[in-house]
This record gives sequence, structure tokens and C-alpha cells, in this order.
Amino acid sequence: MKSLATIREGGAANWAFRIAATVVVFALVLYVPTKTGAGTIQTAIEALVLMGAAMSLNLLLGYTGQISIGHSAFLGMGAYTTGILVSRYGWSPWYTFPVAFVLSFALGVIVSFPASRIKGVYLALVTLALALVFPQVVTWKKLSWLTGGGSGLPTKDAQVADTGFNIGAASRGQMQYFEIFGWNPLGDLRKPDNKAAFWYWIAVGVVVIIYLVCRGLVKSRVGRSMVAIRDNETAAAVMGVNLVATKAFVFGISAGLCALPGCVTAIKTGGVSPEGIQSLTVRGAITFLIVMVVGGAGSLWGPIIGAAVYVYVTDITGGWASDEAIPGVLRPFFGWAKIPPSDGIFAVLLIVLMFVAPRGLVGVWRQYSPRIVRVLPRPAGTTGAAPVAIAATITNTHSEGEHE
Amino acid sequence: MSANGYGVDTQPRGEDEVVVNLLDVDDVTVRFGGIVALDGLSFSIEEGHICGLIGPNGAGKTTMFNVVSRIYQPTLGSVRFRGQELLRTPAHGIARLGIARTFQNLALFPTMSLLDNVMVGAHSQGKVGFPRAIFRVGAAKENRETRDFAGDLLQQLGLGPLAFRPAMGLPFGTLKRLEIARALAAKPTFLLMDEPASGLTHGEVDELGDTIQQIRDQFGLTVLLVEHHMSMVMSISDRVVAMEFGRKIADGTPAEVQQNEAVITAYLGTS
Ligand SMILES: Nc1ncnc2c1ncn2[C@@H]1O[C@H](COP(=O)(O)OP(=O)(O)OP(=O)(O)O)[C@@H](O)[C@H]1O
Ligand SMILES: [Mg+2]
Repeated sequence: MKSLATIREGGAANWAFRIAATVVVFALVLYVPTKTGAGTIQTAIEALVLMGAAMSLNLLLGYTGQISIGHSAFLGMGAYTTGILVSRYGWSPWYTFPVAFVLSFALGVIVSFPASRIKGVYLALVTLALALVFPQVVTWKKLSWLTGGGSGLPTKDAQVADTGFNIGAASRGQMQYFEIFGWNPLGDLRKPDNKAAFWYWIAVGVVVIIYLVCRGLVKSRVGRSMVAIRDNETAAAVMGVNLVATKAFVFGISAGLCALPGCVTAIKTGGVSPEGIQSLTVRGAITFLIVMVVGGAGSLWGPIIGAAVYVYVTDITGGWASDEAIPGVLRPFFGWAKIPPSDGIFAVLLIVLMFVAPRGLVGVWRQYSPRIVRVLPRPAGTTGAAPVAIAATITNTHSEGEHE
Repeated sequence: MSANGYGVDTQPRGEDEVVVNLLDVDDVTVRFGGIVALDGLSFSIEEGHICGLIGPNGAGKTTMFNVVSRIYQPTLGSVRFRGQELLRTPAHGIARLGIARTFQNLALFPTMSLLDNVMVGAHSQGKVGFPRAIFRVGAAKENRETRDFAGDLLQQLGLGPLAFRPAMGLPFGTLKRLEIARALAAKPTFLLMDEPASGLTHGEVDELGDTIQQIRDQFGLTVLLVEHHMSMVMSISDRVVAMEFGRKIADGTPAEVQQNEAVITAYLGTS
């Protein structure tokens, strides 16, 4: 395979690319709250929530190979923890994040123990049961003293001023605005009724935290042992990987992280109920799966790209309920069915991707970008020159494996 | 089996020199439903030796490896490593004791690069667990060290140029060699090799024999070698154990085992 250019990992060109990519991401993140309206900001929050959920699922499924169709329940744990603590006990929403993480982590670890004995389809079914049971439990009449039953919990009215959360109202006179030449990089926080920008930054914070945790894990000895479990469990155990403990921890971390976007949803939606927040029903769990797979399972940026694409497509096609709203060429394909067009588009995209790029959109990038620029990894080893090779002949054997 | 009161089996050698066995397999029985894969198998391996384990197909050699790796639980018997009962150690604890192995039919991590495969091989040497990985305490340093260590091992086994290739799709012989590199990454003192020569040409088999002796000397290893290439086993082994139908049929120096009636019968298939 020929490539137009070859650069060195960690070299100047590589750094230039990294910096450019970082600048683009920063610009996008800043653009939304400062230059767009509340509607776009709300959509962006949905995308961020989906990113967070898909990234935590990716840790478990993409990297460790343990399927879960139950992550909506963990997101629900987060949403309900925030809902209950804020509306029933008057907590500041800030403090509900760590509590939600811990509770969901514990639930994840509990689920992992039966899960570490079962595999594949059976694990899928057990986690699916979790997703199906969760909305039943929280709407259960006998639990309505806690969860509010079928009508759910309000979180909006309960965001009392002194929690520091009712940003518009409370911050007048308290908050120092951070302005550069009249431009407020945090967005329109000043308007008393525009909390969207504030929630947006909370969602960004959650996604950044999840990303950093995932990155730290994946690029370490632990991350290698996770992929080893995915690739070959027996071999992983022989290398010294404690299968039960590793799976329990990954399950716990994945569940705990998935609760955080749940907290964001509870704050943003202003109420918590299975009807109000679709992501905490089994539909949510399936959406996380699709987003992760379309973006690229087992890659750090896959779920981020997948969620962005998913929400973008959903947003564009959201108004396609009537024929007139659909752009000309596409009209014959949409508008006739009751389901949202984005579902159809993603179903087709999923099938196509499974055939042409099972590693998702990031997989496509990984496959084709070396045709343009190939990044040479840093050489591994303490010696530049090859040490006395124990087996000289083998160098000939594997030449058949090299088709550069 | 001779227990000396310390739970350590010993063999007398010379005048009053006593050699502690590295591995003692004592009366091990493994059943799969009706099949008796190992039937009261007993043998010992002396430290520093290359011990050949031979036997016709289905004799139970791989099963023996899987018992030592704690993949199969024997119904009876005991396996002691440096006098310590292995059957009380969980599968993931074996590598930490200094025992590494290769697999007959390859058990690599196909989506990982050769380098990463070897880095996973060093798992038991590492220290960074979940909390340290999340908060990045010493993770980068460990990565750098493990990466260099693995890179050196690949170089040494002649796999350096392939370090960044995924293991999937490379020739069988190359992957067999990768298995050796990955096993050595655990810094073992005891290496079990299950048919390392399968898939190699005749010339390469001879090279492999030299390789095994060299790594034994360089890394101070004791080796248990399962192999069907008789000339190689007989030329590099210090001792050979022959088995058939899960039982030991002969045990001794290569010359002794080659002359053994039972071994000849087992291999010629007459009975
Ligand atoms: N997991 C298993 N389940 C059922 N039977 C098994 C299992 N593993 C091994 N056996 C049986 O145990 C016996 C010994 O098999 P084993 O693989 O140990 O032989 P081997 O000496 O390694 O043979 P080869 O030289 O062909 O590799 C065989 O009869 C085999 O069918
Ligand atoms: Mg075998």
C-alpha cells in the first residue's frame, strides 16, 4: 500500500496535526454556546449525553468484549439519583454526580458477577432484562414514595437558588463574567432564563471526564488486559489477567460513568420519568449500541463521532414527518412511515457499515488515512541497532507476511 | 513419591548433593466425561533441565499443560512447583510464580499488534492497576519500560520488523515464534512449550532447537517441551518423559527412552 507522505509519531508534523485537531475540537465546543441559539444548545447537550453513554459502553463492549444491552438502566440510575436527591432532599445537583457514580458502580459490579460466568447471547439477554426491568421498578407504585411512580420526579422547581445551580437568577451580582473583548466564551449565561448554556458546560465537563478516564484506562496495562480478554480469555488468564476482577471493575466503571450523563439529563429535562427520558428505557440502550458501533467500537473517538453523527442526522430529519419537508430526491424514501426517518437511516447505515467497515467510521479512517499520510510508530526497544538475533532464519520466514 | 517432610520432593545426586525439583507432578488424573485424559500421571522436572514430553496424538500432553496452567482442574493428584501446591493457585496467579507457556494451536490476541501481544505477556510484571491507570500515576513510565522491553524481545526473536503489525493473518511459523516472545515477556523461570516446531520447515526446526537451548541458558530457564519432531527432542532434552493414554510409559535420558520397548511399541502402533 502506497502512501503520499510518511511522518513520524511524535515528530513535528504529527504534533502539528494533533494541535490542529485539538484546535478544531475546541472551536466547535466553544462555537455552540456562544454563536448558536438555545435550540441548538439543547441538541448539543443530547449529543453530549449520548457520547458519554456510548463511551462508557465502549469500555465494556468495545474494549473488553462484554456485551451489554442494559446500559440504559445505568443511565437511569444517574437520572433517578439526581432526581431523588434534588427533589426529595433538596441537594445541590453538583453533589448528586459522585453519589450517582458510586451507586451505579455498585450495581455494575453486582451485575458483573453473574456476567463473568456467562457469555455472548446469554450475557446480552441478562443485560437486556436489566434494561426492561429498570423502568418497571422505578414506576412501581410501591416505590412511588421514592421515585414518584409513573409521573416521575420534578427536578426543575427544586433547583433552588442557593444551590448555585439556578445560574441565571442566582448569579446576578455574584458571578464574575469572563469576557474577552466583549465576547463571553462561556456563552449566554447572563440571561436569567437561559440555563441551556450552563447545562451545556456541565455536559461537556462530564464528557471530558469520561474521555479522560477511558483514555487513562485504555492506554495502560489495564487497557491491554481488557483487549486481551476480548481477544482470547484463556490466553489472558495465562498471562496473569484476573478475569473476574477485571470484568467486575470494567463493569463497575462503565456503569458508574454511564450514570453521569444520566444526571445531566435529569437536570436538563427538569423531570425524571421513563416517558420523559427515552434513554432510560431499552430504546436508549439500543441507541447507545448503535452509536458506538457506527462510530467505531474499541476506539476512543468512535462513540464521540458516532453520537455527533447520530444526533445531527436525527436533528435534520426530525421535521421529515410530512412529505413537503423532505428534500426532493429523498422524498420517495421517507415520509410514508410513522417511525422517525433517522431510525431508518441509521438502520441502513449500520447494515452497510457492518459489511464495509465493521470497525465503524473510525475504522474507515484508520483503513484509508494511511493512503494519504502514514504515521510511523515510535520504534520500540532500548537499542537502535538490532541485537544479535537468536534466530536469524526466521527473518526470512516472515518476509512472506510483508506486503508493504 | 518421596516426600522429605518439607513437602519438597528431592532426588539424590552425587554424594550428598540434593537437587530440589522444580516441578513435581504427582498422580494427576483428569477426566472429560468418559474419557480419561490423564490417568495417574507422575513425573518430576529438575531445575535448569530441558525436559521433553513425548507421546502419540491424544496421549494427554496438552492436557498436562492445561493442568499446570490451571485451565483444567484434575479430579485427583497434586502438582507442586518449587514445593508449592499449584492446584491452590488461581489461573491468573500462575504467571506471577514464574511459569509461562506457549499454545499448540496458538492463543494469541489477534487484533493486537505483535508488540502489544508481547506487552500483555509482561502483564504479571506490571503494577499499574485500575486506580493508577485512571489517575495516571506512573502509567506512562510503565508503558515506556514495558514497550522497550517487549520491543527488545521481538528484536531478539527476529520479529522486530513486524512489531506494529496485527497478529491476525501472519504465517503460522511466525506466530509460533511470537508465542515464545510473549511467554518470555513474563520473565519466567519455567517455560512450557507445546509443539513449537509445528508449521516450521526442516531447517527451521533445527534453528528452533538451538533457539530453545539459547533462551534456556540466557534466561536461566527450565523447559518442558512437547514435540513430535523426535530428532529435535532427543538432541536438546536432558531428560525425556514418554506417555500414552494419559500414563507415563517411560522416563529417562533421551538414549534410554529411545531404546524403551514400550515407547517403540507406542510409536510403531503394534500391541
Ligand atoms: N476439553 C476437552 N474436552 C474433552 N476431551 C478433551 C479435552 N481436552 C482434551 N481432551 C481429550 O483428552 C485426550 C488427550 O488430549 P490432549 O490434547 O491432551 O492430547 P495431546 O497429547 O496433546 O495430543 P496431540 O499430540 O494431538 O496434541 C484426547 O483424547 C482428547 O480428545
Ligand atoms: Mg497437544
